[in-house]
Amino acid sequence: MTNHRRPVAILFSSNQFGLLLVVIGFVLAFTFGTQGFASKFNLFTLGRVVAIDVMIGYAMMVVLVTGGLNLAVGAIGVASVMFGGWLMEVVGLHPLIAVPVTIGFGASLGWINGYASVRSGVHSFIITLATMSIFFGAMIVLTGAQPFRALPQEFIQFGKMRVFGIVSPLLFVTLAVTVLLVYVFSYSSFGRKILAAGASPAAAELSGVPVGRMFIYGHAISGALACVAGLMLTMRNGAALPSMAGQLGADWLLPSFLAPVLGGTLLTGGVVSVIGTLLGAVLVTIINNGLLLLQIGEFWVQMFLGLILLAAVVLDRLRSVLAERRRATA
Amino acid sequence: MNTKYLRFLAGAAGLALVTATGASAAEGTRVALVPGGPHPYFAAWEDGGRDAAKDFELGAADYKVPPDWELSLQNELIESLVSQGYNSFLVFPGDSVGTNSTLNELGDFGIPSAALAGCVEEPTQALFCLGTDTGNSAYLGTKELINALGGSGKIAHFTGFLVDPNTQLRIDAVERAVAEAGGGVEIIQVIADIDAPEPADEKINAFLAARGSEVDGIVTTAWIPAVVASTALRNLGDKRIKMVGIDHDQVVLDAIKDGFVHGTMLQNPYGQAYIGSYAMNLLNEGCSISDDAPWATTAQTSKFIDSGTAFVGADQIANYQDAMVKVTQEIMTTFKDAYLSCK
Amino acid sequence: MRGAWENLRRTEWFGLLLIAIVGALILAAVKQSFLSTFNVYVMLLGFSISIMVSMSQMVIIAIGQMNLSVGAIGGLVAISFAGFMEVWGLPIPLAILAGLAIGVLCGFLNGILTVITGITAFIITLATLSIFKGINLGITEAQPFYEVPAVVKWFGNASIGPIPYLVILPILAAIAMWYLMNRAVIGRQMLAVGGNAHAAGLSGISVGRTVVAAHAISGGLAAIAGMLVVARLQIGQPTIGDDWLIISFAAPVIGGAVLTGGHVSVIGTCLGVIIVTLVSNALVLLAIDPFFVQLLLGALILGAVGLNRYREVKAEAHRGRTQEAHA
Repeated sequence: MTNHRRPVAILFSSNQFGLLLVVIGFVLAFTFGTQGFASKFNLFTLGRVVAIDVMIGYAMMVVLVTGGLNLAVGAIGVASVMFGGWLMEVVGLHPLIAVPVTIGFGASLGWINGYASVRSGVHSFIITLATMSIFFGAMIVLTGAQPFRALPQEFIQFGKMRVFGIVSPLLFVTLAVTVLLVYVFSYSSFGRKILAAGASPAAAELSGVPVGRMFIYGHAISGALACVAGLMLTMRNGAALPSMAGQLGADWLLPSFLAPVLGGTLLTGGVVSVIGTLLGAVLVTIINNGLLLLQIGEFWVQMFLGLILLAAVVLDRLRSVLAERRRATA
Repeated sequence: MNTKYLRFLAGAAGLALVTATGASAAEGTRVALVPGGPHPYFAAWEDGGRDAAKDFELGAADYKVPPDWELSLQNELIESLVSQGYNSFLVFPGDSVGTNSTLNELGDFGIPSAALAGCVEEPTQALFCLGTDTGNSAYLGTKELINALGGSGKIAHFTGFLVDPNTQLRIDAVERAVAEAGGGVEIIQVIADIDAPEPADEKINAFLAARGSEVDGIVTTAWIPAVVASTALRNLGDKRIKMVGIDHDQVVLDAIKDGFVHGTMLQNPYGQAYIGSYAMNLLNEGCSISDDAPWATTAQTSKFIDSGTAFVGADQIANYQDAMVKVTQEIMTTFKDAYLSCK
Repeated sequence: MRGAWENLRRTEWFGLLLIAIVGALILAAVKQSFLSTFNVYVMLLGFSISIMVSMSQMVIIAIGQMNLSVGAIGGLVAISFAGFMEVWGLPIPLAILAGLAIGVLCGFLNGILTVITGITAFIITLATLSIFKGINLGITEAQPFYEVPAVVKWFGNASIGPIPYLVILPILAAIAMWYLMNRAVIGRQMLAVGGNAHAAGLSGISVGRTVVAAHAISGGLAAIAGMLVVARLQIGQPTIGDDWLIISFAAPVIGGAVLTGGHVSVIGTCLGVIIVTLVSNALVLLAIDPFFVQLLLGALILGAVGLNRYREVKAEAHRGRTQEAHA
């Protein structure tokens, strides 16, 4: 069906392209409409925030494609970062060793979610709702809610470093993970299996995909990505903080859903857009930043955020409807 | 699918963007007063900042509230305020350790900042901490409670989120005050993580159901628990249980007036904003922090200025603000000479 | 008699009922104060609010969507309700009606936006969550409304023995919801839409109208919850509703609701709320060290869900065997 349409039309009607247009629209509006949006300092901090928010979005995305949910993204992020902080500060491991071990720890927390959900047959929503409390609670018990703040300089400096004056190195981490995820979901048989399992577990099972194992992998990858997001936030904060993602890690929930769902990942599983998630997170971060710069009455910012978000998704929807119509008349 | 509605919505969004205005040009000292999130405690900051801006002719001393109580949102707000040309920052730390990274970055850019109302932990580039020593306030409050109990009894402690480093300081401070009272006083329960009204109501009342007949006194060291516990005691009609609250919520003040609550530990948000803005302006005009300033030391910082904390009981309730006005005046008269060295 | 027992045993919520009863018995045995009048009263209060919040979400789960703005609607209605009475001096019945109208309107808006744009309710309500909460903060600037009339305060505190007046509305609402979901046409239409919107449309159900109706009901229930909290707390706190999201999903899903829609259980949801209420009450009653509270809360919920699941699996196996025997 799509093969005899012109490439331009395909581009125009793709979800990512619509988001890209909206993003560009907001960048232009804020560049000319506000003071300081395009300043070096603002671009640097914007990039740093984007890098972390995108990663949080990815952590949720890889579970959404399996048709599951991971409410414990924030809890895993915090719990594994506190573990990493302990490794570096108390055990004294070099970051080059501590970071991979920490990511492995995050992955294993995710693995627990997946395993518990698959083996018990209880929806991951409930499992992760409970483990969110358990992981976070265990972290509080073990750390006494005290931060680790004597982390090695070579670790923390990544949060402050600037490449070419405006680019945070954290962005490179995010880009690398983006490339990896695009490869996995678009070109690897592993990615196709996960998507197949998410789209229709019964059909996938029949065609020989180990569905349960795929779900568990999805959760483990989610744990690892949540941990990477947590580590990046730790670099930015300069310390491993129990309060980093709020009570129970719940502050991460909305951004984690927002980016993938805006980007076209379906909550029912089986459909993923890595670039869409990236653009979704960029869009939200830019709107947030632009609104703060606009100096709207302090307490009204949140309302405008909601209005603009609504307008943005509606605009994007309008574009895809128009594209559909043009295709129908052509 | 109805595109007519979509177009209408799109138009409305465009309008919203156009009506928003740009920023005014920077001149002189532009102080941003940034709380941790939307919270009634900080309302007086707005007045304090405005009055200071008027009295000392600042470019601005604006109250800027993060849209939600999250560390990362506060950081983003501060960063965007830099882009808007604010050149002095008075910040209530969203996290007493985590906020440092943002304040240190401000310092690297040559932008002075200080912690207001609560402190950041050292090492930090924040120039000073003007606020309440949270530990000490909890300690003094517990002392008042123990006095009211006649030196013996069973007490409970209600406080906020455990992930807030201040919460641990408060728990420790209450324990210290109890230990100093000898063996007569015992903490029978600590309830934490009740910074939202619904769970606070459920847990505090469940506590009163389980041990209301046993407990003699309650100390609360966070805003919401103080409000909810005051209401709970009023509903019970119980004047036997003595309670010492925190801050100046109308509910707490009324409960003191009516005898359901023994008293509250008052803080000085207006003074914090007023004095803080004054200090930042002087620093911007060429003063620097004096080498021999008479700093106080707390568990968190060695550059502490007490903005005043006082116990307010039923006797002082009618003019409870007088104490704070006095403290503010006292600090103002000596501040410049004591803490700054100006050319 | 035996037949009734068998029917009860076969219901999907029987396991939850067992867990709730056993949990309550253990608590009563360990702690005398558990069954004291005041503690039962306190638990019923917590139950009242949570049940309204959970049912507000349950309606939306029934149609296969999610409503992230439940708490934001509740909060907005709470401060409007208190504000109407304090600032405009509206009589209480009018303020209640206005509050209810705001809630229904908010829900209606969610519904109409989802239907017109065809965007998933998850995104729409995420945006409206921000809008409703934003209006709340814009109006209040984070300051509560204090002047709640004495009658409203009285209603939030009055009780007959251990039974608070506050619980009346939630129980009525639960019965109404049970009727709606199991007997009424609109309820069955909602479940049909949740099960398969396309098929429902083909069979002559107006999908759009059903979705809008569900959202309006959800908004109305959230509004009642918001006003009940005002009566309970005796002030119009802007933070009311901030904490609702998790319980709103947890109770219906523990109670057997399918997140993709088409199946919910009102009784299961009520039992879900009861179990969560019991657990959080137990943690206070047993004077658990605050550092361990979250850990235990999660473990106990997981335990309850696991037990229920275990019973289901056993029951299925049992049914499987008996069917084989009959064949």
